[in-house]
Amino acid sequence: MRPQLPTLDLVPLYPLLVVTGWAVLVLLADLFVQHKRALGYLALTGVIVAAVVTVALWPGVPTSFQNMAISDGQALFFNLVFLVTGALGLLVAIEYLERKDLQRGEYYALLMFSLAGMIAMAAAEDLLIVFLGLEMMSVALYVLSGSNQRDMSSIEAAMKYFILGSFASAFFLYGIALTYAAAGSTNLAQIGSWLSGRGIPKDPVALTGLSLLLVGFGFKVALVPFHWWTPDVYQGAPTSVTAFMSVGAKAAGFATLTRVLYSAFSPTFTTDWVTVAAVLAAVTMTFGNLAALVQRDVKRLLGYSSIAHAGYVLVGIAAASPVGVRGMLFYILAYAFMTAGAFAVACAVERREQSTTTLADYAGLAQRSPLLAAAMLLFMLSLIGIPPLIGFWSKLFVFRAAVEANLAWLAVLGVLNSALSAYYYAGVVVQMYLREPGRSPAEEVAFRPWRSALAVAVFLAAAATVVLGLWPGAVVNLLMGV
Amino acid sequence: MLIEFIPVLVLFALATAIAVIALVLPAFLGPRRPSRAKIETYESGKLPYGDARYKVPIGYYKIALLFVIFDLEVIFFYPWAVVLRQLHVFGLIEMGIFTALLVVGYVYEWKKGGFEME
Amino acid sequence: MNFPFLTLITFIPLLGAVVVALIPGRREREIKLVAVLFSVPSLVLSLIAWLLYAQNAGEIKFLEEATWIPTLNAYYRVGVDGISLPLVFLTTLLTTLSLFYSSYTIKKRVKEFFALFLLLETGMIGVFVALDLVLFYIFWEVGLVPMFLLIGIWGQPQDRPQYSAIKFFLYTLVGSVAMLLAFIAIYMTTGTWNILQIPGLKPLAGNPGLAIAAFWAIFLAFAIKVPSWPFHTWLPDAHTAAPTAGSVVLAGVLLKLGGYGMIRILLPFFPDLFKQFAPWIGVLALISMIYGALVSMAQWDLKRLIAYSSVSHMGFFMLGLVAAAASLEVANPVLTSRAIALNGAVLQMFNHGIITGGLFFLVGVIYERTHTRDLKAFGGLSAKMPVYYGVMLTTALASLGLPGLAGFISEFMVFRGAFALIPTYAIIGVVAIVLGAAYILWKIVQHVFLGEFSEERWQEIFNPAHWHFSLDMARFEVITMAPLLFFMVLVGIYPAPVLNVINAATTALLAML
Repeated sequence: MRPQLPTLDLVPLYPLLVVTGWAVLVLLADLFVQHKRALGYLALTGVIVAAVVTVALWPGVPTSFQNMAISDGQALFFNLVFLVTGALGLLVAIEYLERKDLQRGEYYALLMFSLAGMIAMAAAEDLLIVFLGLEMMSVALYVLSGSNQRDMSSIEAAMKYFILGSFASAFFLYGIALTYAAAGSTNLAQIGSWLSGRGIPKDPVALTGLSLLLVGFGFKVALVPFHWWTPDVYQGAPTSVTAFMSVGAKAAGFATLTRVLYSAFSPTFTTDWVTVAAVLAAVTMTFGNLAALVQRDVKRLLGYSSIAHAGYVLVGIAAASPVGVRGMLFYILAYAFMTAGAFAVACAVERREQSTTTLADYAGLAQRSPLLAAAMLLFMLSLIGIPPLIGFWSKLFVFRAAVEANLAWLAVLGVLNSALSAYYYAGVVVQMYLREPGRSPAEEVAFRPWRSALAVAVFLAAAATVVLGLWPGAVVNLLMGV
Repeated sequence: MLIEFIPVLVLFALATAIAVIALVLPAFLGPRRPSRAKIETYESGKLPYGDARYKVPIGYYKIALLFVIFDLEVIFFYPWAVVLRQLHVFGLIEMGIFTALLVVGYVYEWKKGGFEME
Repeated sequence: MNFPFLTLITFIPLLGAVVVALIPGRREREIKLVAVLFSVPSLVLSLIAWLLYAQNAGEIKFLEEATWIPTLNAYYRVGVDGISLPLVFLTTLLTTLSLFYSSYTIKKRVKEFFALFLLLETGMIGVFVALDLVLFYIFWEVGLVPMFLLIGIWGQPQDRPQYSAIKFFLYTLVGSVAMLLAFIAIYMTTGTWNILQIPGLKPLAGNPGLAIAAFWAIFLAFAIKVPSWPFHTWLPDAHTAAPTAGSVVLAGVLLKLGGYGMIRILLPFFPDLFKQFAPWIGVLALISMIYGALVSMAQWDLKRLIAYSSVSHMGFFMLGLVAAAASLEVANPVLTSRAIALNGAVLQMFNHGIITGGLFFLVGVIYERTHTRDLKAFGGLSAKMPVYYGVMLTTALASLGLPGLAGFISEFMVFRGAFALIPTYAIIGVVAIVLGAAYILWKIVQHVFLGEFSEERWQEIFNPAHWHFSLDMARFEVITMAPLLFFMVLVGIYPAPVLNVINAATTALLAML
């Protein structure tokens, strides 16, 4: 007797397969290539190929891979966000690692592997695939955070990230286990239909599972009060890693969080998680901004700012509506360009022997390196939410969704927070434009577009911040199909 | 509303109770005759020696990690071997991919000098 | 009207900013020339637009519409009427003069200065022409950053420019985010961002609590910008710290953004609420007028004095607006008083822009020569600098409301309207005029130009090495002031060209409420 073999539909997995395969390729190439810089470009090619595949699959594959993974519009959109982040991260790293004398082949392979993990998370239709992707992404990021072995703070960052991350994974697994206990499945759609089909409206076991899953996600996307690792890790890790993970890991976390909440825990538990998400969003943005006010180190400042932005993103999720999801998706794309761009500038300003940059290092940047300063100015303004930059629209979309969802108080709080955040973002601008330079121009990476990879990354991010700010319709149209 | 959580509460209470009982009850019921051998570190029957915080050369860890990987491979091989005939070419290709990935790791480890013990 | 007047007026300066940014930074002469040249087309076009605007028509002209973000229902929609047109002209005039003046006085980081200034012009004009709330908000914010940098970078070091710049930035931002929320709430009930349609749709009519919140949120944004007491504290710092051209544009145009917003958005959107709260807003206006004048009188820093006088003078504007709003439902005969009050308010904005803009230029004149603004350091300059004395005296008298000069007309109209509609307020408000005369005659004219000239003191403050032009007003300074003086006299003697345009629009506005 032959067992009935399933017919495998690999189409939804194409982006994942391309990135994973390419990661292996980079890993092998590392053994034979002397100039590690070339590996960066090899990886970049892979990212571009994966992006092409993703775009070719648009607007989504109707079939799913064994009810395990799917490439629908949302997953593909997230893929694009990850790949853009990956490309920016690679461009930044090629230059930065050279300067810091950290050029190693593993870096690029690990980055590709974590990218694969993110893509798996966004595509997951099953809690086990979520966990698989989560670990794949996280483990690679733990190692990347510690990739500067000469720097104690980098090692400390890796250690902290690893321990707290594993802790979060444990919570997450326990959540999966309890959810499975309640619903008898790890498939998100099946959980959803089981929970809503039950006579008892709210299964306490499932509710406990949901809370544990939320704790796990809270760690991964750095929501207050699960954010304590973030500033240390973002500050300690090599800046090129921070640029990549501050966006990628967060986006991946939100990608899955949305799916878990919307398909597994709706509509039965909607009121519960909306309340929790709204409260977490409020606390997260407020705390993130308050803590950022007093920072003197730019990486740390951006770390707290990224916590605050996780709060804004969560506002879109708490709206629990298609408008909210679209707002959230737009926000994450905007966040990718703004934050990766800002960290890329931090890479350029950072000196060879430093591992971080204080605000004073930015003094007079406008005179030392006008284009770099102009790009940073754009990122800061966009992070505040000044129109017509992309950050304004992202905030407008999520706050509008909140108002529509009768969460006006959340929108008010979010707007107040934006005003609060203006203070510390403006502080960076003050340093760059209003202070006199404290050191010689020669120490900066010569900022010549098209001649340095780092400059290309900064330029691309800045261009996206402006162009998509003037024409947000381009992205919105794309999202209408999601 | 809150009544739904009673089972969870009961579960917590039971778990706590069992843990407490298991710890406290023997202290009252069991006879205590400590001897030198009894309070020594338990090392699965071997006589203990040296300091517990003994530094193992890193080479052992590398071997241990490799061992885990190949151990897992073997575990996957067993069930596969049992149904190999039924799985036919499909099974062969699948296991081929799996093995190829492991070989990549192996080659990587080798070329990076993972097998050098100083 | 197919010719895209407003788009060109708004975006030619932006193009200029880009061109300036592309010129290598060391070619300062070329940068200055290009910047001034790029500001001229907007000035010419806005003048042509004014002349073309049929004077007796109250409706929006030069309308341009294009879909922008369909899913958000946001349009690129611009147009002007008699309220915004004078302000657009004011903006282009003051910007061109400022750029011209700055091309002689700005010495450091020239390229950034001119690029930012042109960007600022685009933002300011955009606010006056935008007829879509999203577009309005965007232009509102676009001007914020260049002004922040202008104050911070080119401010005088002794005036804490960084502190002032951040204060200005945060104050404005707090107001504008509150306004943004109110806009979103309005959009939720009306489904449109169209500034012209929303009044007819009675925004938030079904939800009085939210309507009141939205009203005050929008009021806050505009009151900070106007500025009205107690939101004025950013103004003296920012005005004092900013470079001369920055102060001119701040006082001349940026304050009008708030006033314009009150007339264009707050009043038509919430006429009933405005009427309901008019007594309170009137009190704020009175405090601004009298408090501003009193504090002005106490200053010994010439620039700070003029800055506080702006608080006082913009209070006149608010009083006129309150008078027009306080009596919305009164029967027809009073309509004329309402129209007079509102006309006075709008004209007061225009006049204040011309006069206070001029005053800040004139402070620049003395500051560039002596590097001090301390009133105690001057005295008897009328003999040393007769032309300067004449120009300053004319401008200062226009500011205090001497009949025959511009300030008188608008203040008279405001009080004429207010006496008929809200007499108590008007009677109290008159005190501010008296105080205004006091600080201008006593502080400016007396301390700077009259009294004893001391050669010794003059040698102390005047360093010829700093100044390469003639001691009395140099030619470029006279050229800068000439158009402003022309308008002060023109409006003072024959205000019809300006008033007819304004009147048509305000009458249409009042008829609609």
